[in-house]
Amino acid sequence: MKNCLIVDDSRVVRTVAGRIVQDLNFTVSEAGDGAQALQHCREAMPDAILLDWNMPVMNGIDFLRALRRETGGDKPVVVFCTNENDAEHITEAMRSGANEYIMKPFDADIVYSKFLETGLV
Amino acid sequence: MQDTTFNELADLALRRTGQAFERSKAYLMEARLATICRRESFAGLDDLAHCLKQRPNPRFEQEVAAALTGKATHFFKERDTLEQVIAHALPARLKQSTNGRLRVWCAGVATGQEAWSLAIRLSELADQPLGKAHVEIVATDVSLPALQIAQSGTYGHYAVQTGLSITRLMTHFDRQDTGDWIIKPDMRETVSFKRQNLMENANMLGQFDVILCRNVLSKMAPVMAKQAVETLAGQLLPGGFIFLGQEEDIHPIQPTLKPSRDMRGAWVPVERDESAEAAA
Repeated sequence: MKNCLIVDDSRVVRTVAGRIVQDLNFTVSEAGDGAQALQHCREAMPDAILLDWNMPVMNGIDFLRALRRETGGDKPVVVFCTNENDAEHITEAMRSGANEYIMKPFDADIVYSKFLETGLV
Repeated sequence: MQDTTFNELADLALRRTGQAFERSKAYLMEARLATICRRESFAGLDDLAHCLKQRPNPRFEQEVAAALTGKATHFFKERDTLEQVIAHALPARLKQSTNGRLRVWCAGVATGQEAWSLAIRLSELADQPLGKAHVEIVATDVSLPALQIAQSGTYGHYAVQTGLSITRLMTHFDRQDTGDWIIKPDMRETVSFKRQNLMENANMLGQFDVILCRNVLSKMAPVMAKQAVETLAGQLLPGGFIFLGQEEDIHPIQPTLKPSRDMRGAWVPVERDESAEAAA
């Protein structure tokens, strides 16, 4: 079974997203900010990461850049999942190594579609 | 909704668009006519049916019938079929073309995602012969409100995130201040939209190399589906192909269409296939 790390400072979002990816046959891990997520990845690299942008301690884009520099950090499929819906943020995310981008609010169909685009399902 | 109302609306849908409704799908009727009921201040479908009976108005009847057709679609739906068209059907037709021009009819496109998906996919083939060909896409639907959305090329938050990768979204759409996304001007020229009822003669559209009519016929009453197939087949160029929905149960119209022997996933009119066989 593949593992998906959900990185978001909102417990509600983590719970909702967690249920959606569980339905897609993923085990779920959670982190409340980029620093926690990076620590998690150093211990066990997930197959997929659903990543918020604005978070305390370390934001999503800094986490992504740090992740891609880690050994094995090129492996996880990273799907941004954020309220930052403008072209500039999307372009920055993709240039920094994101594989896909979800603009909040999201639902199960959108998550499935984006996981399909990246070959996760 | 009273049984008489259901029967009258089902009859209207059948007469006007060929669509068959079972009593168990009454909830779909209510959902699809909710906008018209709100606009016209009807208390419900019984009111609407009463109005249709008391004040006959062909234009309003047509609007109601068109609203009853299904419009659930998304970008890059049934990708295997799309890829079959791109990788095999259109290249095969291009080889036979003398002027490098091809015509595709997307019939029953609802809000247009299928036609735009095809246009987007074609735009990604710049280095291939098909990318250099002139492919005209004509997209039709019976519903004017759906066509208006299709033609505007403007889609909301959920529509652009279902079936469309972020790379394709950023390449082919611009974000508007409203938060909606609109197809870019260079793509807009590649698709033309027209109203067409498959129950009516389609000669005005001209002839096509490939016709896509996905998940439309299976929702029609068998006798109407046969009529729609005649409409489609009448616009198909010799040697062209018709593609239907992947999971579509077309058993009732199989005497009219049969799987192509030359093109996986494609259908051809029975008469033509038989004459080709006889010629061989």
